[in-house]
Amino acid sequence: MTSPEGSEPTADIASPGTSTATGPGRVLVAVYAVLALAATARSAVQITRDLEAAPVAYLLSAVAAVVYVVATVALARGRRTAAWAAVGFEAVGVLAVGALSVAAPDLFPDDTVWSGFGAGYGYVPLVLPLLGLVWLARTRGRTPDAWRTPLG
Amino acid sequence: MGGGGRCAARLWRGPGRTARILVAVWSPLAVLVAALSVAVAAWAGWRAVRDRPVILRQLLAGGVVEALLLVQVVIAAVRSATGDGPADAATFWGYLVTTLFVLPVAAVWAFAERTRWSSVVLVVASLTVAFLAYRCVQVWTGA
Repeated sequence: MTSPEGSEPTADIASPGTSTATGPGRVLVAVYAVLALAATARSAVQITRDLEAAPVAYLLSAVAAVVYVVATVALARGRRTAAWAAVGFEAVGVLAVGALSVAAPDLFPDDTVWSGFGAGYGYVPLVLPLLGLVWLARTRGRTPDAWRTPLG
Repeated sequence: MGGGGRCAARLWRGPGRTARILVAVWSPLAVLVAALSVAVAAWAGWRAVRDRPVILRQLLAGGVVEALLLVQVVIAAVRSATGDGPADAATFWGYLVTTLFVLPVAAVWAFAERTRWSSVVLVVASLTVAFLAYRCVQVWTGA
């Protein structure tokens, strides 16, 4: 957040909006990366092992994993539009699937990352997108206009 | 004939003893990895509270954890090769190989930030490693 640009040897300083990846954002990206890793690994095991057992749950796991990866990369590289989309999708996803998994458990014979509002992952999947949205809102406008790409 | 038999028996006992040692150190090693990771997390947490960034000595501590993880990989590979492998091989190796990448990636990510938030990143990463080490033991025994 307050770190001088010169102290970021690995980041391309001229790249648009690295601001989402500095200060508290750096922690946000780290937690997102861990969740992306967990969701991807779990989904890979589920799909390669027995997709027929619970196709809805397993495909949903795969979608969630991809979205977590997109969110991680977008936040790390300061791609605001992609980050808004991915984090927003997660917020909607965890609320919708969380509610569905409670209301219609038959739909999900096996758990997904979002089942029970992310209870299997210590509710991190519920808290993280909310923090992500707050962070994106708080860092809005931090990127100088001259650095913006046409898409965001 | 008798001497040859004794010699063969001694040769036969060799691998068995090695296997027993590998079995004996397996759980203590996992506990050590988890405990050291928690210690690294505590150190980083303390620095975060005091508004300090990650320093090189902390990365060295993380390097010790990483070295122990590599020892775990070797032991797990030897035990698997001798037919004494994990209950769920795919999940176990998934966990163990994933664990190997967490600290190096986190170190690069944290070190680029020279504020207290780099310390928080190290807290997250080392707690992740501790949890994964715990899961590795669970998956090995099939729990």
